[in-house]
Amino acid sequence: MGGRAAGYLLLAPFLVVFAVFGLLPMLFTAWVSLHDWHLLDGPRSFTGTGNYLRLLSDWRFYNALGNTVSIFLLSTVVQLLAALGLAALLNRPLRAATWWRAGVLLPNVVSVVAVALVFGQLFGDTSGTVNAVLQSLGLDPVDWHGDRLAAHLAVSVMVIWRWTGYNALLYLAAMQSIPQERYDAAALDGASRWRAFWSITVPGIRPTILFTVVISTIGGLQLFTEPQLFDPLGTAGTGGTDRQFQTLVMYLYERGFTDYDAGYAAAVAWAVVAVSGIVVLVNFGLVRRMVARS
Amino acid sequence: MSAPLRISRLAAALLLVLVLSCGCSGESGTIRLTLATFGEFGYRELVETFERENPGITVVTRVTDFDSHHKALATALGTGRGAPDVVAIEEQYLPSMRQAADKFVDLSTFGADKLRSRWAEWKWAGGLAGDRVIGLGTDMGGLAMCYRRDLFAAAGLPTDREAVARLWPTWRAFAGVAEQFAASAPDGVHFTDSAANVFQSMVSQLDHNYFATDGSYVAGRNERLKQAFTLAGLLGARGHTAKVQPFTQEWSTAIRSGKVATVSCPSWMLALIRNAAGPHGEGRWDIATVPGGTGNRGGSYLAIPAQTKHARQAYRLAEWLTAPEQQRRSFLTTGLLPSCPEVYRDPAIRSRRDEYFSNAPVGKIYAAAADKLRPTFRGVDDAKVRPRFDAALGRIEEGALGVPEAFREAVEQGREALEGG
Repeated sequence: MGGRAAGYLLLAPFLVVFAVFGLLPMLFTAWVSLHDWHLLDGPRSFTGTGNYLRLLSDWRFYNALGNTVSIFLLSTVVQLLAALGLAALLNRPLRAATWWRAGVLLPNVVSVVAVALVFGQLFGDTSGTVNAVLQSLGLDPVDWHGDRLAAHLAVSVMVIWRWTGYNALLYLAAMQSIPQERYDAAALDGASRWRAFWSITVPGIRPTILFTVVISTIGGLQLFTEPQLFDPLGTAGTGGTDRQFQTLVMYLYERGFTDYDAGYAAAVAWAVVAVSGIVVLVNFGLVRRMVARS
Repeated sequence: MSAPLRISRLAAALLLVLVLSCGCSGESGTIRLTLATFGEFGYRELVETFERENPGITVVTRVTDFDSHHKALATALGTGRGAPDVVAIEEQYLPSMRQAADKFVDLSTFGADKLRSRWAEWKWAGGLAGDRVIGLGTDMGGLAMCYRRDLFAAAGLPTDREAVARLWPTWRAFAGVAEQFAASAPDGVHFTDSAANVFQSMVSQLDHNYFATDGSYVAGRNERLKQAFTLAGLLGARGHTAKVQPFTQEWSTAIRSGKVATVSCPSWMLALIRNAAGPHGEGRWDIATVPGGTGNRGGSYLAIPAQTKHARQAYRLAEWLTAPEQQRRSFLTTGLLPSCPEVYRDPAIRSRRDEYFSNAPVGKIYAAAADKLRPTFRGVDDAKVRPRFDAALGRIEEGALGVPEAFREAVEQGREALEGG
């Protein structure tokens, strides 16, 4: 009993912070989503599921969902594979290892606004560096903001650049806990480095891989700052002239803070929660299967 | 049993700490006012003067970009916290703020209603919400057309501003000049910045645009709106635009590198061009009359959110900043067109020239036309609909849509944006 009380006490700071800044806002958002709620005027009428029904027949919502998933897949797959490779390189004996390991985290600590400014110049449609290089090679310039796939790629590059190093460090930490004997044994059996990597390293860090998949999933589904700032119009933009790269949270932002429709924006927020929930359940299933296997 | 109770007590204590730590401001005796604006109002020097003349008040200025500024204000008003003491509101956002008039201090309680004669009549009326005074006018957005003398010369066009103005009495003529320019323009130089910028200037010359005065959405039926859209859209479709929007990084780059020959120029745009083009642009840019003669595009008001704790001092600041003398100084430093007849009719203002813009007679071009300015009617939801039309023009520039389809799409998406709210 005493031990349990101490446990609660130790947890209390987190629970309080979570309740005040996590749970209450979420419940309030749910309450808002059941109303016709003007951002400035406040609630106008109770509409029940009205906002959700409208959401289900809103093509802009599906557009945003599609973009979010597309950017998420493009960025996460490349990002995690690159992180894996990077971690494997960092895990080998290196001169100035600490310097390299800290270095890969640099992109992550640079302010995202600065990142967006730099990538905005790289992927400028008319005066961008990437297009200048393409043209000097005799290729056609790419309409980075107008073409849907090109825009998704550009945003993904930004995300990949920011998060690869972070994930690599997580992988590296996990790799260092794999016993060296396994590699020695594999080497005796004549396994190549490549084979050892896939048969020892990757299975050895599986829980970490799953963790990063879950974290990138949540981050990917909530993607906002990078694509919003990628729009030349900044906070006024809706992800391109035809919503080519508008993500779910950007759509939420548009409805809530440009159109002042807080009720609808709240419904979008809960839709994001629902989508995240589904993906997390899928991940949970994967975790269980993996635990059973090992 | 007792754990949840303890948690809720802890939560209460934490909340209390949070509230207390946010509530206090400044050291005792001095009052700290925040003044939030967007873009360039030229208030930094003015505020220093104000602080000297009003010991005991310090003013913190906060400048963000146009959209973030208004979004932050909406959020602060919606949540009831975090609004500045004095805030600038641009005219296209004013109708939606007017709907939430009770979120602002009624300035007539401090005697603002007696100041009415300071401003041009329509400017004063714009700051009213029923019988409440919620905004005091700052600047107006008189229209002109900025152009690059050197690029015009290179394309074989006249460079003298009188002669240039004669080239484009109408927007149709302006489009004709675009063709002429393109025929012999230097490589990579576009006639104007964007279809949307041209469109917004044209629209601000109409008496109403997306909404009729009864508030109904008439974009699909407004022939003159459609004509403006078509003309601007064709400029984009025919490649006369550099596809860059003011207030963006790419716009600044295009202006700085001399890729744009004209920019339709409300008075507040002068500061943007000067900042973007830098010293290199001095003497290359010039200002001529806008096609269609005049027009009002933009201009702002200062308002005081009702959540302020220092309404009286905030009013003193807002009243002082919008007074004729300060508007005069603001015009001289930033080129913002005053909304006080006493100032814009002043011969000293009318004879003002701007060295940067090839010594253009900005007093004559902007101030002399100020009396003739008529605001275009702004519906409550103007700020929701306008971006859809700008985006559709962008689609034309990207080559994704033809002009008629783009107009239909803009009208339809505007309607969707309205139904959403």
